[in-house]
Amino acid sequence: MEPTEGTEPKFLATARDEQRRMVDEYYTNLATAGGPKKPVAYMFVGGNLTEIVRSFGYEVVFPEIVGLNCAIKHVSLPNILHAESQGYGLDVCGYVKNDLGLQELGGQTPFGRVPPPDLLVCSFSGCYIYVKWWEALAEKFGCPLVVLDVPYMRAKEPQAEDLQYLVAQLNEFIALLEKRTGRSFDRAELRRVLENSRRAEQGWVDYLDSGRLRPSPIEAYFEAVFYMFPINVLRGTEEAADFYATVNAEVAERVRTGRCPVPEEKFRLVVEGVPPYTNYRTFWDFFRRWGAVSVAATYPKVGGLFDRGFLHDPARPLESIAEYSLGAYVNQSWPLRRKLIEEYVRDFGADAVLIHGIKSCRSFTAGQGDLRDWLIHDLGIPTLYIESDHEDPRYFAPAQIKNRMDAFFESLDQRRGSTPLPMVRS
Amino acid sequence: MGLFPVSLHGGGESVEISHADAALGSFLCSISKSTLELALTSRLAPFRAFVFPYVCDVSRNVEGIFSRVLPGAETYMLHLPQNFHSAATVPFLTAEYRRLIARLEKAGGEPYDPERLAASIELFNQQRAAIADLTATKRNEPGKLTLTESYLVRRLGGLLPREIHIPLLHRVRSELAQRPNRTKDAIRTLLVGPFCEQPTLDLIDLMEQVGCYIVDDELLQIHRWYDRVDPGGDPLTNLASAYVQSPVDIGVRAAPTTKGEAILRRVGAAEAQGVIFLTAKFCEPALEDVVLYRKALEREKIPYLHLEFEERSTSYESARLQLETFVESILFD
Repeated sequence: MEPTEGTEPKFLATARDEQRRMVDEYYTNLATAGGPKKPVAYMFVGGNLTEIVRSFGYEVVFPEIVGLNCAIKHVSLPNILHAESQGYGLDVCGYVKNDLGLQELGGQTPFGRVPPPDLLVCSFSGCYIYVKWWEALAEKFGCPLVVLDVPYMRAKEPQAEDLQYLVAQLNEFIALLEKRTGRSFDRAELRRVLENSRRAEQGWVDYLDSGRLRPSPIEAYFEAVFYMFPINVLRGTEEAADFYATVNAEVAERVRTGRCPVPEEKFRLVVEGVPPYTNYRTFWDFFRRWGAVSVAATYPKVGGLFDRGFLHDPARPLESIAEYSLGAYVNQSWPLRRKLIEEYVRDFGADAVLIHGIKSCRSFTAGQGDLRDWLIHDLGIPTLYIESDHEDPRYFAPAQIKNRMDAFFESLDQRRGSTPLPMVRS
Repeated sequence: MGLFPVSLHGGGESVEISHADAALGSFLCSISKSTLELALTSRLAPFRAFVFPYVCDVSRNVEGIFSRVLPGAETYMLHLPQNFHSAATVPFLTAEYRRLIARLEKAGGEPYDPERLAASIELFNQQRAAIADLTATKRNEPGKLTLTESYLVRRLGGLLPREIHIPLLHRVRSELAQRPNRTKDAIRTLLVGPFCEQPTLDLIDLMEQVGCYIVDDELLQIHRWYDRVDPGGDPLTNLASAYVQSPVDIGVRAAPTTKGEAILRRVGAAEAQGVIFLTAKFCEPALEDVVLYRKALEREKIPYLHLEFEERSTSYESARLQLETFVESILFD
């Protein structure tokens, strides 16, 4: 099979417009937050406490999401270079350097101004560098830093000791928010917000689950990343919950008409790792020209493993938030990650696994080589491992990556014929 | 529980990395690779259990690889808490120790016995006290022993039975008492950064050769987490409390104060004239702290030098030149 030139990726038109509107609105609100209006809390995506913090009137900034937006709009490098000029070395995470560089430069981005924090909430779930990053911001802005220490997941189910610890910390955090804002904690309001979260989560799961169909009506890596914003940033709002109904209606239409992201699905992939945001379209093109579609991916689960059975439970608000915090993908031990990827390959009928390791993130990446070895030698699943970075364009070598991917898909192609398959559920 | 604890600080200079690179990827520290290389080349066969304290994401992830490549051994990633203000931290860490114990019981074949743990704590208290005495000597009378000597004596503490190491430390102490404090025109220097991966002996030696007295350092932090742990009552709770209350303020522990305050306090306590940051290549926690430390030192006009190292460094010409310039810049200031 000869590779074809990639076609323009087809997004879900209405959902994409809706998503853009929500993103624009979010950054507009941020630009006017702070000062006497709304206080601003900074938070990480993994295991975040957005429902609790918002219930106390905070606007929430996720510097990781600001970072990926900077990278995808090709403005991360000046921020990174500025951070390096301040002493942050080549081996420091690109997200950290983008954010600290951006803050030093005044916080202005093409999509809006990022306000300084009034509170730093370090949901320490799956990445030690979160602590270092927040310490640097705390020193710069002189604002309080709260650590929610999330134990590492080493067993499939949350353990009682871990949940008790987390719930106790959440109660202490709520007491601190009450003191800082002068507001009382409204448990009924939190329950209401969690109803919205649960509805959004179910919609998100339904979207991801459609990757089981053949051909897949979704692109579970490149396309899904676009639809992560509401589930991570706006979770708990009605509009986030409604958003996934719009997405899934369009997916149903794709199924009905047979118009899928890859017109002739040739290879079904599970993708592990963070995307190279600086070269997002180029990287995607390397898949599409071979008719390769990701049917499941681990990266869209960095905010939580909703697709593995967890949904927020309004009847048990704090316990449920504690369980959620444990479930960030990179907070899972390698045995759990390996098991998840094996299940994705099986449940989504994947032909191969593609692993994208990034220089910046040791939490995600350290051990991906061993994962490749396990997939190939223990499970017999064709696997390709490539490296670049998610934030720093200097580490994306397009010719080298393309060569490796071409060789990989060519070898997959030789293993089997090239007949597109009818739409069935895996 | 019938187990003998050994501190494993990577494979050092002599281990050739031929398998671990492929398992770990390109942008990771040497200590993770050489440690894994030992496992992949069957050089850890005598060990029945491996405990990986959560000091960074790499150490955490390496445990997951060990669990696959050494299926016959017990492995455990010990979650060391980062919330030092919560009332729930000590109970959590106590419970975490109990989970670890369950794994160690399997590996050692003997049940947990609180009385034996209390006795062990007392033994380790003696070891920590003797090591604190050694480091105090280096701080107060830096001409009495070199950093290399101090380092090697401490390093033995993670390899020998404590019953042998403690008398050895006492013997060192009495011999040092007889040794003259030969002072030279050297710079009192604080060494920051090598809290995990260890530099080569050549590099440790070099810093004092060129005219520094390393009067305090971050080498081998394992011996310094606690001053003294109460062996009475519930020893697990006491260990957990000691961890939470530890005064150690290094890159892999959420800062109890600002980093700037911390470095200035340590410089003051050591009466240091300058600081050497010696950070392992790819050690992100150390690299990020250096920026905050540097800002505080610059404010106070305290000289510093930043060097990077790897476990398997072999050439020191550049490091020598930088160190000599650092020393001269202070001596002739």
